[in-house]
Amino acid sequence: MTPRPNAAPQLLRRLRGANPAVALHSRGLRPTASAPAPDAPRRIAPRVLQPLPSRSFTSSPDSASSSPASSASSSASPSSSADATFTTVSPDEVSHFNALASSWWDPHGPSRILHLMNPLRHDFIRSCRSSVLDATPPSTSGLTYLDIGCGGGIFAESAARLPGTKHVKAIDPTPGVLAVAKAHARRDPGVQGKLEYLNTSIEKLPVPEAPENKFDVVSVFEVLEHVSNPAEFLDRCTPFVRPGGWLVMSTIARTWMSWFTTNLMAEDVLRIVPRGTHDWNKYVNEDELRGHFLGKRTGWTDARCMGVIYVPGIGWREVQGSEKVGNYFFAVRRAA
Amino acid sequence: MPAASVCRTCSRRLGTQWRRAYSSQPQPDIYDVVCVGGGPAGLSLLTALRANPVTAGLRIALVEAQDLSKTRSWKLPPDRYSNRCSSLTPSSAQFLDKIGAWGHLQRQRIQPYHEMQVWDGVTDARIEFDWENGARSGNTIAYMTENLNLTSGLLSRLDQLQGNTIFESARVENITFGEETEELDLSQWPVVHLSGGKQLAARLLVGADGANSPVRAFAGIESRGWDYQRHGVVATLELEGDGWGGENTKIAYQRFLPTGPVAMLPMPGKYSTLVWSTTPSNATLLKSLPAKDFIALVNAAFRLNTVDLEFMHTMSSGQEDELLWRLQHTTFNNQAVPQTVVGVQEGSVASFPLKLRHADTYIGERVALVGDAAHTVHPLAGQGLNQGQGDVESLAKAIEFSVTHGQDLGTRMSLEAYNSERYAANHVLLGVVDKLHKLYSVESGPLVPLRSFGLNAVNAMRPLKNFFMDQAAGKGMKLF
Repeated sequence: MTPRPNAAPQLLRRLRGANPAVALHSRGLRPTASAPAPDAPRRIAPRVLQPLPSRSFTSSPDSASSSPASSASSSASPSSSADATFTTVSPDEVSHFNALASSWWDPHGPSRILHLMNPLRHDFIRSCRSSVLDATPPSTSGLTYLDIGCGGGIFAESAARLPGTKHVKAIDPTPGVLAVAKAHARRDPGVQGKLEYLNTSIEKLPVPEAPENKFDVVSVFEVLEHVSNPAEFLDRCTPFVRPGGWLVMSTIARTWMSWFTTNLMAEDVLRIVPRGTHDWNKYVNEDELRGHFLGKRTGWTDARCMGVIYVPGIGWREVQGSEKVGNYFFAVRRAA
Repeated sequence: MPAASVCRTCSRRLGTQWRRAYSSQPQPDIYDVVCVGGGPAGLSLLTALRANPVTAGLRIALVEAQDLSKTRSWKLPPDRYSNRCSSLTPSSAQFLDKIGAWGHLQRQRIQPYHEMQVWDGVTDARIEFDWENGARSGNTIAYMTENLNLTSGLLSRLDQLQGNTIFESARVENITFGEETEELDLSQWPVVHLSGGKQLAARLLVGADGANSPVRAFAGIESRGWDYQRHGVVATLELEGDGWGGENTKIAYQRFLPTGPVAMLPMPGKYSTLVWSTTPSNATLLKSLPAKDFIALVNAAFRLNTVDLEFMHTMSSGQEDELLWRLQHTTFNNQAVPQTVVGVQEGSVASFPLKLRHADTYIGERVALVGDAAHTVHPLAGQGLNQGQGDVESLAKAIEFSVTHGQDLGTRMSLEAYNSERYAANHVLLGVVDKLHKLYSVESGPLVPLRSFGLNAVNAMRPLKNFFMDQAAGKGMKLF
C-alpha cells in the first residue's frame, strides 16, 4: 500500500464541485488569476517533491475513498454485480463533471480537446479490429458498443452514427452530464433508436448472460484516471465483453512528462483542460495495463496500444512510443 | 461500406411518426446535405459525394432555380462556342476525373493550352510562360472549357450515378430553423422552404448559390470587398488560323492595359474566347459597335500603343479604317500577338461587372459556403472556377472524414478543416490577383519601370518562372 502523498489534495478535490473557478470554466469563461489560488500549492509544490509512486492495481492509494470491498480485488475473478454498495466511482469526480456538463458540446469550450481526440478513437478501434482475423465475426446487422463513463456522449454519439453500428449503450454515473448527452442526442435523427443512455455505474449494470447479448466493443475512454480502483473497475467491465470482442481504453501514463503536460501546462498554464480534471496520482502506465490483462488476469489476448500527442494548433497525432510518456489508447481482445 | 447517417428507412419511419403527431402542418424531409445552387460548384459537390462509396449513402438534395433540362441537352455545332468559358487547371481536371465527370464532358470542345504570353501594355515588358522542352501533352497549363460543357457533363455523370434528389425550377422562398418536437430537436437545423411548399431540413446546408447567396444571408455571414468599376467583356472570336503554334501548341495571350487586362484564350480550331476587363463606358461602346468595328478594336487592343487605343475608344464608328491606318505606323512582332481576329460570333458579345468579394468565413453551424457564394475574384488569373472546384474537393473530403469517424458532418467542428484549408489559400489568391490588377492600372510614375523590371527579371529566371507556371497549373507545391 502506497501512502497517499498528501491528504490536502483530496480535501480540495472534494470541494471542487463548489469551486468558483470550475463553475466559471464550465461557461467557457476563464477564471481570473486570483480565483484558482487554492489550487496552486496542490498542483505544484507537493507533487514535485514526491518520488514517483508505483501505482499498484491491487492496492490503490485512493482505496480509502471507496468501500472496503475494494480490498478484495486481488482475486482474479471479478466481483459480482450483486454487490450493490461497491463502487469504483469517486464522488468528487462526479461533482467535478457535473459542473462541466453545460459546456460539454461547446466546440470551443473546455471539452474541445476531447472532441478533437474522438476521431482517433475510431481509428484505433478500426486498427484493432482489422489486426486480427476475426474467428467469430459479429452479426451482419452491425457492431454493438458499451461505452462506460460516456460523459456528454462525444464517443457514444459518434459510434452510433457510424454506418457499421447496430446499437450503442452508454452509461455514466454523473446525472448532469448524462442529461446533456440525452438532450444532445435528440438533435440528431440519425442516432435515434441506435443510442441508449443510462445513468448508472458499471457495478449496477446487469451483466448479460448470453454471449450474443454481450458487446463487440466495450469502451472506457478517459475514465481510468478518474476511477478509484482501476483493477477492480476493469474486472467489472470484463463480463460485458463478447468472446472475440474488444475492451478499449485510453488514459495517461504517470510520468514527469504527463504531470508537466496534462497537469501543469494543460490545466494551469494554457488552460485548455478545465482545472481539477486530472489527478496525476490516478494515472496508469501502459506496462501496468499490459501486465494486468496478460499477466494477472486470464482470458485476454492481442494487447494493442497507440500513443498520441496533442500539439496545440495542429491537434492530436499518433506518435510511436509516446504511450510511455503521455496519452495513449490501449485495447485487449477477449479470447474467443 | 455505404454510409447512412440518416438511413432511408429511419427517416421514413420518423416521417410517419411526425405526420401522425402533427398532421395539420407539413413536416420537413430530413437530409444530410442540402445544396442550394446547381452551378459548377453545386453540381460538382453533389457528384463528388455521390461518386464516393463512403458518402454515396448520405441523403443529399440539390436545389436549383433554373430548369436543368436545357443544360442537360446542351448542344452546339462545332463552329459555335458559348461566350462563358473557364480555364480549368490540371488539378481541377484531375478532381473532375476522380469523381468520374471529366469523361462526360464533350472533349472535342475542350482546348488545352501550353503557353502563355503576358505583357505590359505600357512598356511592352513581357513574360513568356512556355515549358522548356516545348509542348507535350503532360505540360498543359490549363484547359479552356465552356461552363455549359462542364455543367452538362456533370449532369450526365449524375444521371449515370442515378437516384439523385434534384429539385429544379425550384425557388428558395425562405430558410428557417426547424422545430422541437417530443422526439427530436431540430431547432438548430436549417430548413429550406421551396416554392410549392416543400421543406427540406438539412444536417448541412451548402450555399453554392452564387455571389448574392441566400444561404450566406441566412447564416449571417458578411461578405466584404469592393467593385473594380470595371466590366468584363466576353465574346467568341474567329481567328485567321489555328494560332502561331498550330493545332497542337495553343497559346493564351494577356496584355495589361491601364484600363484592365485583355485576354484571348484559345478554343478548338480557329476559335478563341475574349475576356476584356475595361471601364463600364468602354464596355458599353464595345457592345454597341458593329461586328467589323468591334473586331478592329479587339485587334487594336493587342497591337496599338495605349494612347492610340484610347483614342479609338472615343470614336463612335469607323474603327476598322482607323486601325488599318494606324497599323501602318506601329511596329510590333506579329508572332508575339494573337493571330488577327476575322470574325465575332453573333450575339456572343456580353459584359458583367467585376468585383472582389470574400466572405468572413466559409462555415457556420450546419452551413458551408462554396464557390462564388464564398468568394468572387477578378478574372485576370482565370482562377474563379478553379477556386470553387478546390472548395468542393476540400468540403467533400471533410464530409467523408466525418462519415468515417461518426462525426455529425454539419457541425462547425466537422467543417473547421474545410474552412482552414480553403480560406487562407483563397485569400492569398484574391489578394495577389487584386494587387496585380492595381499594379497594372498605373500608367506612369516609378511603378511602371519597376513592374517591367520585375516581369523581365522573372522571365529571365527559369526556376522562378517554372515555379509560377506550376502554381498556375496547380502542380507542385500547393500555395494557392
